[in-house]
Amino acid sequence: MSEAIPQNASFMVAAYVVTAVILLGYAIALVRRTRGSRDS
Amino acid sequence: MTLAQSGRWLTGIGLLLLGGVYVRALAFTPVELHQGPAQKIFYVHVPAAWSSMLAMGLVGLASILYLLVRDTRYDRFAAASAEVGTVFACVMLTTGPLWAKPVWGTWWTWDARLTLTLMLFFIFIGYQLLRGAVTDPALRARYAAVVGICGLVLLPFIHLSVYLFRTLHPQPIVLKPSAPSAPPEMVTTLLLSVGVFSLLYLGFVIQRYALGGGGAARNV
Amino acid sequence: MADLLRHAWLVTRKDLRLEFRSRTALTSALVFTALVLVVFEHGRDPTAVPTLNLAPSILWVTFSFAAMLALNRAFQAELENQALDGLLLAPISRTSLYWGKLGANLVFVALVQVTGLLLFMLFFNVPVWRVWAPLAAVTALATVGFIAVGTLFSAMVVRTRFAELMLPVLLLPFLLPPLIAAVQVTVPLFAGRPLSEVAGWFRLLAAYDVCFVTLATLLFPFTVTE
Repeated sequence: MSEAIPQNASFMVAAYVVTAVILLGYAIALVRRTRGSRDS
Repeated sequence: MTLAQSGRWLTGIGLLLLGGVYVRALAFTPVELHQGPAQKIFYVHVPAAWSSMLAMGLVGLASILYLLVRDTRYDRFAAASAEVGTVFACVMLTTGPLWAKPVWGTWWTWDARLTLTLMLFFIFIGYQLLRGAVTDPALRARYAAVVGICGLVLLPFIHLSVYLFRTLHPQPIVLKPSAPSAPPEMVTTLLLSVGVFSLLYLGFVIQRYALGGGGAARNV
Repeated sequence: MADLLRHAWLVTRKDLRLEFRSRTALTSALVFTALVLVVFEHGRDPTAVPTLNLAPSILWVTFSFAAMLALNRAFQAELENQALDGLLLAPISRTSLYWGKLGANLVFVALVQVTGLLLFMLFFNVPVWRVWAPLAAVTALATVGFIAVGTLFSAMVVRTRFAELMLPVLLLPFLLPPLIAAVQVTVPLFAGRPLSEVAGWFRLLAAYDVCFVTLATLLFPFTVTE
């Protein structure tokens, strides 16, 4: 019995996008916060 | 170089490497036959889980050390690790259901791993809410340490209890997304991703530590 | 050790005496428990869902509410009257204070749970009487688990802002293992399954209790020392 590979790439894309958004978002937030409380 | 700057550099490198991992995972790692492309979520979900548990472990450790020697740097580190841990827990909790739905047929199930991740998230949230609700820094540090230690000790119990739950009452599962008995490319991709996520953890924590250990993002 | 227990008993007795004089918390807890059970009773369709399926969940929701109510009253009275400072000045160890509070909370919750269970037996036609011993055991074990951590946390949150919100949020992850274990024992118990099937859960509950009572005892002094 040969099965086709499931066509669920949309979930994969969503997950990778969400991950990038969260990590990039936090990175940016941190930079803004550290720039805000210090003069550098 | 200030602490914040070194943190930023590490984070920057980490994010670039993350891009590399993305490319490798999406384009150069084989697709798993039964689960399809969604299986690749594994390469971001597992490292996120690893980072959040690392974060919790270090919060617990720093909490114990704080209560023993009362060095506020431990408290400051614990606060930083908790915040960073929450971020990774968010990644874990969003990628988890996105993986579960196509592979298991349901967004959520009270299986050991998922329940553990949800409770971990609640511990992080509770820890930070508590920090935000106490104004006196010494009191805040003590209270936070107590919760941090309890949270750390709780984790093995959550894993045990929910694991027992699953084995005694096995539920029908569509497909089991266990680790692929692995073509080496998959293992390598996973390990690279774990390394990158660990680097990001470090970069984030250093920056957050540089901000100060207050309840909010102001210096103590 | 004897001093420890004696002092703890003094604290427990004081708390319980205070409670029975005013009876406000106890009364409201009992009324609330009855209310919850009545709502569940009327909310279900007896022809559609057999009681046995819902019964363990209903019982444990009720027991959990009782525990939360007990915890909410734990340090409130002390704080309102500045009595907490007085207690801390007393020549008793912090450990006695913790065990005393723990004891008082457990007695309070037990009273509410027993009443709740009687009402439960009245409303829901579940064969509880046959399994009362293991049911009492699992209830005691799970409740000790909630209340041990809850007593520790209530000592902290009472001095924070948003105390009423803070306690449930902090406590939620710690309620989960005893609650899951308790429900997983209650389901086969009500269904008449042999005890051997649930021995593993009992072990987990016992381990949880030993671990967290010890941990809470160790950590409590840090929540009240200046």
